Amino acid sequence: MGNRAVKPKKTVSKSKDSSEKRVPIFIMGKKYEVPESLTIQKALEYAGFQLIRGCGCRGGICGACGTVYRFPDSYRIEVGLACQTVVEPNMYITQIPFFPANKATYDLEKLEPTGSTVMALYPEIFKCVGCGTCTRSCPMDIDVMEYISLAIRGDIAGAAELSFDCVMCGLCTARCPAEEAQYNVGILTRRLYGRHIAPRAKHVAESVENIQKKRFDKGLKTLKSMNLESLKRLYNDREIEPDMADEFWEPEDKKYIIVQ
Amino acid sequence: MKLHYYPGCTLKEKTTNLDDSTRAAMEVLGYELVEPENWTCCGAEFPLTEEKIVGLAAPTRILRQVELEGGDKVVTTCAFCFNVLKRTNEALLKDPLKHKRINAYLRDDIKIDPLTKKKTTDFAEYHETVWVLHLMEFIKYQIGYDKVKSHIKRDLANLKVAPYYGCRLLRPAGEVGIDIPDDPHIFEEFLENIGCEVVDFPFKQECCGSYISVSLPDAASEASYQILRSARYCGADMLALSCPLCYYNLDRRQDRIKERFFDFTGMPILFFTQLLALALGVDEKVLGLDQHYYDPRPVLSKMHKTEVVS
Repeated sequence: MGNRAVKPKKTVSKSKDSSEKRVPIFIMGKKYEVPESLTIQKALEYAGFQLIRGCGCRGGICGACGTVYRFPDSYRIEVGLACQTVVEPNMYITQIPFFPANKATYDLEKLEPTGSTVMALYPEIFKCVGCGTCTRSCPMDIDVMEYISLAIRGDIAGAAELSFDCVMCGLCTARCPAEEAQYNVGILTRRLYGRHIAPRAKHVAESVENIQKKRFDKGLKTLKSMNLESLKRLYNDREIEPDMADEFWEPEDKKYIIVQ
Repeated sequence: MKLHYYPGCTLKEKTTNLDDSTRAAMEVLGYELVEPENWTCCGAEFPLTEEKIVGLAAPTRILRQVELEGGDKVVTTCAFCFNVLKRTNEALLKDPLKHKRINAYLRDDIKIDPLTKKKTTDFAEYHETVWVLHLMEFIKYQIGYDKVKSHIKRDLANLKVAPYYGCRLLRPAGEVGIDIPDDPHIFEEFLENIGCEVVDFPFKQECCGSYISVSLPDAASEASYQILRSARYCGADMLALSCPLCYYNLDRRQDRIKERFFDFTGMPILFFTQLLALALGVDEKVLGLDQHYYDPRPVLSKMHKTEVVS
């Protein structure tokens, strides 16, 4: 929630299209009338809040704008990302952009992809009582409890796959009665999976080898010695891979293609 | 025949030999074991405080999943899981208020549609229609020893096995008990019917130290020593059990027991399902016999001399 020391401006700037219907929302308990098409994040800014934290990509990926809200006629706590959730009348909103979470320090190279590793780094996940609150509070619709369950029983690949959509907003952690940091456990399993379980990508190894053999050095040297104008020309005149090209497409000028 | 089976977390990580041997043995007996979808840890310990019912949520969810999948029974081999699931079932049956509170809570569970990735919020209640059975009970009352006998391929008559119940299978009496806690026989019957020579010993219901193993390892190793010594003095070659924690205390702690008690010589600890699978002629390789701290294979090799070729 931005900087709370910053007072919202007194005069709320009017929407350019004054005909747009406005809905009442409650930001931290105070009522604001905002255009109905805004997302929660836009509505906060419309209401005068300056967001310097709790706001990142504005595209539903970075997980900085975890938000909880409720409606007056329901007991349920609803969750969403502020940048992705459109306001609804009578929403009571507060952002929880950050929640303190236990974060283990580890050397990934030295870890084994087993349940014992997760147990050593995050022993608190074994306190899970299976209440399911984490799953209910995930704005990305991840079955959080299930991936924690898989981590507990040592299924690292399963936990990594199930937690893949996690944006690390921390809402699960904010609500966990067992005080777990589910999202940190999730990223641990994904790292373990990526480093120790997933098959190695051949082409990456090949490319690294090519770099080490200095096969790109000549071209790089040429580029470095060019002036700005000729660089621009080279870039603009380059041969572009067609949109629908298949995997066998090759450029006409093959002098930069490295054959193993 | 399909049968719902709840393995529990320990069987997937620390004691895969119990899981593997259960599956192998049940396959021979004609059962396909189905795990309830998205199962979680059962909690391992039934809530000891009457008012703290949150611990009932996880086991109830597991039982509800079995119910939703059309199952009327769920079989476990882990003594802890069995204890928790069975007691939860009993608690919900006996106490309508608990049933109401837990179901009111679980009704808000979110189910995520695998195709649309959307949350569907209406979830069924659990109606306590699932029968929680330990595999030993299932074999006695549902399969029948006669059928098991008809599938036996290996003669285990040379093995002197002491059955060790521990506490979770028997207590609290009335709620759990797969048999009478003070004078149980079901394990002995089971071992007799798969062809082992049963060795009765006075410590079969004594506590192995359970999870005091975490905070006071020496207390657990001493308790385990008493059990193993008693079994040895009564003439047993090996101890059979059903509980992964007893297995940990009695098998993995043997190094510590050896350090502390000079007369201790070690004893192989086997899961009852490993013996069952052996009797049913399952390949030894799938039973995880190499995972034991005390290698049971030298003792087991005794039986090969009299192996029945079928």
